[in-house]
Amino acid sequence: MCKRLPFYLFGLLLYMSYQTAEARIKLITLPVRDRVEIQLDHPDQTLVEEERTVPLSAGLNQVDFSWANTRIDPQSIVFRILKGDSRAEVNVLSVSYPPGERALVWNVSSGIATTARVRISYVIAALTRHYDYQLITSHREKSLTLMQYLNIRNGANEVFGDSWIWPGFGKQLLKSVGINQTRRVLIDKYQNIPVNKTYTVDPVKHGWLIKAEQKLLVPMHYVLKNDTRHGLGRAAIPRGKVRIFQEDGNGGRVFLGEDWGATTPLDEEMALFVGVAKDIVVKRTIEQNKQKRLSGMLYSHDVVIKYEIENFKDIPVTLTVIEHPRQVRDQLRRRSEREVEWRIGSKTSFKDGPDSDKTTLDKLVFKVDLPARSKSGAAHKQIRRLHLQLNNEW
Amino acid sequence: MVIVMNVKSVLIGLMCWLPATLLANNIDLSTVPPREGVQLTIYNSEDITLVRETRLVSFKRGMNPLQFSWANTLIDPTSVALRFPDSGNWLELLDTTYPHDKQQMLYWNVEAERAGVARVEISYFTSGLTWSADYTAISNQAEDAMHLNGFVRIRNKSGEDYEDAEVRLVVGTINLVEKIAQLARIQMNQVGKLKSEVRNEFKKRAARMMMEAASMDRAMPATASSPKQIIKQGLSEYFIYTIEGRETIPTGWSKRLRSFEGRDVPMSVEYRYRPTQYGDQLVRFYLLKNDQPSNLGESPLPNGRVQVLRENSVGGLSLIVSRDIQYVPIGDDIELNLGTDPRVVFELTKLKVWRDDIWMRVNGGSVYHRIGDAALRLELNSTVGGWNEHVLYAQRIRNNSGKPIQVKVRRSFPGDVVFKSNFGPTLHDYRTVEYAHALKVGDHAALLYEVITRNGRNQKKHQLELMAARVQLPAWRKDSSGVKR
Repeated sequence: MCKRLPFYLFGLLLYMSYQTAEARIKLITLPVRDRVEIQLDHPDQTLVEEERTVPLSAGLNQVDFSWANTRIDPQSIVFRILKGDSRAEVNVLSVSYPPGERALVWNVSSGIATTARVRISYVIAALTRHYDYQLITSHREKSLTLMQYLNIRNGANEVFGDSWIWPGFGKQLLKSVGINQTRRVLIDKYQNIPVNKTYTVDPVKHGWLIKAEQKLLVPMHYVLKNDTRHGLGRAAIPRGKVRIFQEDGNGGRVFLGEDWGATTPLDEEMALFVGVAKDIVVKRTIEQNKQKRLSGMLYSHDVVIKYEIENFKDIPVTLTVIEHPRQVRDQLRRRSEREVEWRIGSKTSFKDGPDSDKTTLDKLVFKVDLPARSKSGAAHKQIRRLHLQLNNEW
Repeated sequence: MVIVMNVKSVLIGLMCWLPATLLANNIDLSTVPPREGVQLTIYNSEDITLVRETRLVSFKRGMNPLQFSWANTLIDPTSVALRFPDSGNWLELLDTTYPHDKQQMLYWNVEAERAGVARVEISYFTSGLTWSADYTAISNQAEDAMHLNGFVRIRNKSGEDYEDAEVRLVVGTINLVEKIAQLARIQMNQVGKLKSEVRNEFKKRAARMMMEAASMDRAMPATASSPKQIIKQGLSEYFIYTIEGRETIPTGWSKRLRSFEGRDVPMSVEYRYRPTQYGDQLVRFYLLKNDQPSNLGESPLPNGRVQVLRENSVGGLSLIVSRDIQYVPIGDDIELNLGTDPRVVFELTKLKVWRDDIWMRVNGGSVYHRIGDAALRLELNSTVGGWNEHVLYAQRIRNNSGKPIQVKVRRSFPGDVVFKSNFGPTLHDYRTVEYAHALKVGDHAALLYEVITRNGRNQKKHQLELMAARVQLPAWRKDSSGVKR
């Protein structure tokens, strides 16, 4: 279906040769759009493809294409004659660009009078898209549902009626988008995703709840792993705002907050902040800092960091403890660009050792399982120690 | 009386039967011989075009004044020249007059031994006619073959309509310094010291000489039903594209013609990490070759913008990138940088650092003691004077592109450095290591290597050295293999 605007013209000048290009009497046919596709798979640009059936006379034909008041990139226009639609040999001879106009003229030859199906592709500005998400967790936070919405905004000053929109993954969607309209379309729904709710302390990234009391902030995140094992993994998840709800057990939903979900390739994780856990208390103190002179200005340090952890929740949780050896060295000695030569000492009391997938030179990651508080309401205080040996510092 | 024919700005008039001495009369009679042919030789590296036009002119015996004017055009008046290419010796150009009261006009006085018709050729340089190349590259869905179309686009802002013109496009940068030096009979290093007007005069003469050869052949007639062929021929250090037949390019218009078409051009995909060339990111490339086995190789590819698209899984095209490419000689590789690919994760992580072979410099003097030596004393007044720093890296690559991929990495390490690994790297240059790794669909790789940098008194050279050895993971890593999949 074609919606032709005064500003947007696709005309075929019939039976005109080059010599008569300036003739004052013209007959113009207006081939309608047979199909429009909007390709959104490029992260920044939008490619529109439209198919039209163009009547051609035998000999030379001029096919006008103009895009006044729209922002088509003229360098991006590709004109293709689709194969198999015509018995005639149809060729594009050249393209002419008139001065001062947003227009061009394709000079097309045809062996016989016929019709040709053509596809015109172009990059257009102001036809933009963004994504947003709704995440709904079950009442007991056992599973969640993620709904992915495509928002396409048409500021391109052109109607795109009944267009096949492709986000770059999944199926094409048949939608129309009018001028200055925004369409929000549900494009995917992932259900029964197992909930991975994390509680993390990280003095560098998340900081302190009360620094004077050496209590660390304990942010909570829903972590979605973009793979099939965790109910996702169909395609990379584009960046977008995620509104988070929780079922209240009475048929309603409670809004928990919102966060920006980063672009998440396959097999990667998306972490969504869902607030600060006030009922998990983590106190971090530097229990020991023994400095030893190796020679002259060369020292080593024996550092023990103590974590006192209490879980006042009714449910057991796993706490992630992150420590940055460089920050420890900079705090205890002085800031230096030199890498930290560290080793984990024997006084370390994290049961399973560092997480070998996530630990690097700059970041140590441990996990601690915290039981639920007792029936009396008291939380079991757990003490964990990280023993770091910093060597060859000067 | 003036007879005006179908020329707009450039006009040549034959002042009929008037002797040269009578040109100042207010009542003139002139005829305007039409253009018989016009040939444009357009450079893309400089805004300069040689125009050669021919006209048939009837001469009377004796003196024949000719008027040539070029109002509202960008013609260089000092470059206008008149020739009689096939008239033997019966015509002679006696003089050229630039009237003081009229800009953009000149008179020629031509002496004819007899009456007759002769073809005259007028040549001049003009600005405002330019051309550029551009390309459309459409990869198939499997990304193993490409449909590559090359185009030339001619822009006419010269102020003059050129109708039915033979068009030749010169590919390559004009280096006129040598020619200027020859003409001026000076050394090449003296060319820059010439006064600008003198240098420009020689430059025009040099350009004319260079263009002479390019404009000898006639263009082939075009067939109306097929795209015009663009004939490519080498000329010295340049390449000439001759557009088949004739083209009409009115002023203000531009015209785009296909210069070549390569169907089913074999291509491959490669991922590269070369921070000095492409920044600190892994970039994806389409690689093809400008040669005949690849259905290309007819001509070099001039600088130009290439729009890269790919047939997608829903029957349409996906835009990948639009960017400029540099000149590609015949036989050379065409490398299309597509930018980063979010489906391939490429990250370098440091796993461990340790230092050894530490030398303490005692009292700032020339005495050094090494840490760990049995004879080491606890020198209080000593500083670190030399050490080796070991850094263990994991180059992690995850391939979620849905296809097997090849990743090639170059990294530079300044100083006295040892690169220790067991995955077979090579040296690209004295301080740059190069290695490649193939990943299947869904592969996760972690290439482990150790970089040992000798510092202070331990540094003996500025050279990267390769060492083939297995690299050990730190004790806290549960997986101790060198390459993880």
